[in-house]
Amino acid sequence: MLLQNAIADALNNTEWAFPLAECFHIGGFAVGLGSIAIVDFRMLNLGLRHETTGRILRYAEPWTLFALVFVIFSGIVLFLSQSDIYLANLVFPLKMYVLVAALIYNFTIHRKVATMENPPPALSKIVAIVSLLLWVAIVWGGIFIAFF
Amino acid sequence: MTIAESIQNIDFLTAIRESALVYPCILSTHLTCIAIFGGMILVTDLRLLGLTYKGLTITDVVTTFRPWKRLGGLIMIVMGLLLAASEAEKYVPNPFFWTKMVILGLIGVHALIFRPIVYNQTEELDRSPVIPTKAKVAAILSLVLWTSMFTMGRLIAYWEPPVTPAPQTSIRQREAFGVRVALDANPARTLRTPPYGRLAPRR
Repeated sequence: MLLQNAIADALNNTEWAFPLAECFHIGGFAVGLGSIAIVDFRMLNLGLRHETTGRILRYAEPWTLFALVFVIFSGIVLFLSQSDIYLANLVFPLKMYVLVAALIYNFTIHRKVATMENPPPALSKIVAIVSLLLWVAIVWGGIFIAFF
Repeated sequence: MTIAESIQNIDFLTAIRESALVYPCILSTHLTCIAIFGGMILVTDLRLLGLTYKGLTITDVVTTFRPWKRLGGLIMIVMGLLLAASEAEKYVPNPFFWTKMVILGLIGVHALIFRPIVYNQTEELDRSPVIPTKAKVAAILSLVLWTSMFTMGRLIAYWEPPVTPAPQTSIRQREAFGVRVALDANPARTLRTPPYGRLAPRR
């Protein structure tokens, strides 16, 4: 609680702190979603057709992880600045549920299918679409928190 | 009536502003494009800098995502312009908005300069043993431009016009869907002063 108050005070008393955290959050999710999207676009056969999905994933995954750490930390900072408002928000818990689902999905099913030698094309496509939908839903959740 | 007012009073722009659902949906689409296609631009820049994706050829990274980045960029710009036009009165005096438009112009200039010498010469870049400086310069400038782009977008929401004393008694009215509505009738709506949502006006 004390930590939370300290962070909240720092964020609320410094004019640029909250927007700065938001910018980190946006920049972070652009890196993260970009690195996930190139894998998904390959699974959908929409780009990088010369490469296997597994190879792309090997390059993309460190960036996904790096970005996730960035996004989650800046997200926690944003949350702590007004935790009571977020907790009372209708959309915030939904966003968190989808986030947990997306994280689990990304490192289990998504990774498994992406690294398969010869996955059935239909399976790859479905897995990629679900992955994109989950992550996009989280972006939408972030915006809708501010409106509901 | 100012130009900004006449723009935002166009029927469908008024509808966007007044709608509780359409405005956040457009905003979310704008952000989704930033995430996916902006993310692809970052991936391209990182590849050009030689920081990652080294096993993938520059040609592959640059050319296979090009149509998607173009489509995403188009959606992003259309959505952004809709957002700005629907609240033109607030955007026109906002210095961050105009800074953002200048950066958008600079991104165009960046494309004009570097497309012929970098982005259309990817096979030459792939053959070269080290990544040439011009490609790295293009990537760094692109990173700087896009980072400032979304930072400005965020800061637009935090700028407040200098306060001018207004007569407190008059309720501003606007024609919407053929009916005159009091703008301040819905207190939730007045909370949404900055274009990016209720949590934004934090002071």
